[in-house]
Amino acid sequence: MKKTLYKGRIILLLVLLTGCSLPGLASTTKDTIEIGALGTSESQIIAEILSIMIERETDADTDLVTHLGSSIVQHQGMTRGDLDITSTRYTGTDLSGALGMDPITDSDKALNIVEREFQERFDQTWANTYGFENSYSVAVTKEFAEKNNIETVSDLEPYADELRFGVDNAWINREGDGYDGFQETYFSFGEVYPMNVGLVYQAAASGYMDVVLAYSSDGRIKEFDLKVLEDDGRFFPPYDASPVIANEVLEKYPEIKDITERLAGQISTENMQELNYNADVELMNPRKVAIQFLENHNYFEDIEKGGN
Amino acid sequence: MDTLDQFINYFSQNSGYIWVQFYRHFLMAVYGVLFAAIISIPLGILIAKYGKLSSWVLALGSIIQTIPALGAMAVIMIVMGLGTNTVIVTLMLYSILPITQNTYVGMKDVDKTVVESGFASGMTRFQLLRMVELPLAVSVIMAGLRTALVIGIGIAAIGAFVGAGGLGAIILTGTNATDGTPIILAGAIPTALMAIIADLIMGWIERKLQPVKSSKPRTA
Repeated sequence: MKKTLYKGRIILLLVLLTGCSLPGLASTTKDTIEIGALGTSESQIIAEILSIMIERETDADTDLVTHLGSSIVQHQGMTRGDLDITSTRYTGTDLSGALGMDPITDSDKALNIVEREFQERFDQTWANTYGFENSYSVAVTKEFAEKNNIETVSDLEPYADELRFGVDNAWINREGDGYDGFQETYFSFGEVYPMNVGLVYQAAASGYMDVVLAYSSDGRIKEFDLKVLEDDGRFFPPYDASPVIANEVLEKYPEIKDITERLAGQISTENMQELNYNADVELMNPRKVAIQFLENHNYFEDIEKGGN
Repeated sequence: MDTLDQFINYFSQNSGYIWVQFYRHFLMAVYGVLFAAIISIPLGILIAKYGKLSSWVLALGSIIQTIPALGAMAVIMIVMGLGTNTVIVTLMLYSILPITQNTYVGMKDVDKTVVESGFASGMTRFQLLRMVELPLAVSVIMAGLRTALVIGIGIAAIGAFVGAGGLGAIILTGTNATDGTPIILAGAIPTALMAIIADLIMGWIERKLQPVKSSKPRTA
């Protein structure tokens, strides 16, 4: 058609411009490693840490795909090949999510299973954990803990009848690791108040609640000076965080394996709380948080020397 | 006042990051509109010539317009995967109606007597289109591109949900923080500014292309 000919010049130009990938936007060339992250600060900080380390030590470029909705989206992105690495994957979540298996309360066992299954089923490597976990955990104010000498969840039992327990709306009716299960393993609280999970920290700090169910790596545990109690009854499934890497990428850049090995066990839950605090409360950019953390730890270069 | 201080602080500390996302956001919107234009302008010309098609094509465009952008994006994500391409395809879908409709209206509004006199002077259909109809319709077509771009900048903000980044990612980060208002503003204000500036610039181009001024002495 003639009118299309008229547009021919423009179209040709555009096709030339956009031949393989759109200029200016994250070019997904073969040398770009796509790192996926959830919407949480934690996930983004870790993704930035990986990105900085990889760009520093390999000749690959990295590109962050952030604010993914859930671990399932991350998993699908990995299996489709849109993502090469996902920064934070939690053992408990992916055991039941991506793998469709029953939850396991032993963290080493859970880690072994996801490592094996991801290798076999998806050709992906579930690397060793960073050292922190982001699980449901029972928290009280430090003041209360010190006064009554409380370290573990079981220590609360003598006081339980008089305590107000503030929990996540979604948790109270959860099967398995919800309140029903909690009562079976531990005990019942005097009264339970379901609320938006973001409110529990402040509720505990301001004294409206005596005990709350918190996310263990949330920076607000630190902000509101709460103490996380040890889950001595091993009730909550483990949510140890690890990166997952496509084997294809590992073959191409063996350095990444080295990076994840050096990071393994280096970021404790307390460290993570601090980093999350910087992002969630101090409103620092995740990339800045990551740079600061890596500089403080000398990019974990000393670990490399020790390891090799 | 505190929020304002924090906002200025956040903005100055992360200006590089905000700029990168701004640029990315803008490019996504522009590509979406450009690709839509490649399809929609010929389509608009076509339905202006063959009137029977017009109601069908415009109805289809309107139907696409009623689908919530987030839903459309989620469906397209299943096919296209994560990232900017999904956003660009979504933006393209939403740009088809304004551009096609404006092209159609612009072509229809061309004075028939002008076309006929051109025809009488021995111009071919292609010459008529290129030298008479399109120049007369171009400002209306530009108005369509302008609408599409402004809508596109708004829709690109939810591209963050499919991992495309952009200023929407900054807004989402703000919603996760304890008192994230400064971060939300750092994402929302540039988005709004971008839409306003795009609207002003496209409006200026549109006026520049307005044929009436220059052709008036000739037609009078």
